[in-house]
Amino acid sequence: MQKSTIQFLLINCFLAIVLVSCGSVTKNYTPKKLDKTAIEVPYFSDSKTDYVYKTNITVYGNELSGIFIAKKINDTLHRIVFTTEFGNKLMDFEISDKSFKVNSIVSELDRKILINTLKQDFRLLLKKEYLIEEEFENESDNIYKSKDGNRDNYLFISKKEGKLEKVVHCTKTKEKFTVKFNSENNIFAENIQIIHQNIKLKIELNHFKSE
Amino acid sequence: MKTKIALLILFISGNLFAQEQKMSDTEINAFKQDVNLVSKKIKTLSTDFIQYKHLDFLSKDIETSGKMIFKEPSLLQWQYKKPYNYTIVFKNGKILINDEGKKSAVDIGNSKIFGRINKLIVGSVSGNMFDDKEFTISYFKLKGQNLAKFIPKDATLKKYIKQIELTFDKEEATVVQVKLLESSEDYTRIVLKNKVINAKIDDSVFTN
Repeated sequence: MQKSTIQFLLINCFLAIVLVSCGSVTKNYTPKKLDKTAIEVPYFSDSKTDYVYKTNITVYGNELSGIFIAKKINDTLHRIVFTTEFGNKLMDFEISDKSFKVNSIVSELDRKILINTLKQDFRLLLKKEYLIEEEFENESDNIYKSKDGNRDNYLFISKKEGKLEKVVHCTKTKEKFTVKFNSENNIFAENIQIIHQNIKLKIELNHFKSE
Repeated sequence: MKTKIALLILFISGNLFAQEQKMSDTEINAFKQDVNLVSKKIKTLSTDFIQYKHLDFLSKDIETSGKMIFKEPSLLQWQYKKPYNYTIVFKNGKILINDEGKKSAVDIGNSKIFGRINKLIVGSVSGNMFDDKEFTISYFKLKGQNLAKFIPKDATLKKYIKQIELTFDKEEATVVQVKLLESSEDYTRIVLKNKVINAKIDDSVFTN
């Protein structure tokens, strides 16, 4: 009984790995000779711009909305604030590739698991530069693989317009989450979606212009 | 040199004029009486508003605007029209939200904190908020205006709002600006315009 249970678990694990591995993301894509070693992302890179988005967060069926504000405050650091529509500050972070500081957070949202998830999400959202190790392609995109600690990021850049369309963040075995960008001019992203594969969490950002 | 001194004097005196002057006890009593008299008459109130969210690190305030409608005793609709559509209604222990057409409702029941927030919004707009049990209040005079500063006594409320400042038109004794301070650097400033008092407003307005 015990043996068959272990076998069953092993097979399941194996299946799970095969079905959702990042390897499978690139499986259908053709390896290609590397045409660049680094990629710069423009979407949150201007220190003069106030990046302001109306935001909807769906987490396990619950909806939360508000205003997402990001500002580049020096070469490595971004300030991120999330407020309600009324303007009450719900969270206030300072984030860089290597550092993370919570300036304030309301007690209702002060959960380690939530903060760590958002830290990961925002870090990828704001990341300015990726060092590239491998390259693939499909019909519409060039796909660049970049190492991120013991994980990987896959950057999808459209062949037609050369725009960064999404970044997929993976462990060796699983897709964790995807950041999708929609940009008219390839400098500013009007619409952004952060979609998690392993938890039911989706964050959608829509840019709005102040009057 | 002379010009420098003149400029300096001008600068200092300018600052002095702009400063808030504390009210005397007699002035405080008269001011409170005026505001209470006006706010007691309010059965319904509708007003346009412009909201400026100021965060110290941003180069520009975030500006949103819309309309607020209140009906006695506690129906309240706060509607953003620009640059997005977002409506929030406080009604019979419920919060109804319409976010760009997406509707939702939250049952707040007897939630103390939301009861307080509701009272606070209505109080801020009508001006009737002089509750010494809830706030430490100070009173100031400005040019053509009066200013009352409220510091919450309740610890839970204080976590969200450090201070509320209501600016009143001196003649009409009604609120023209609400400022909610989160810290010394960050605040929300709401300017009220085109106020209409006691027009007929149907209950059916208060829905999402």
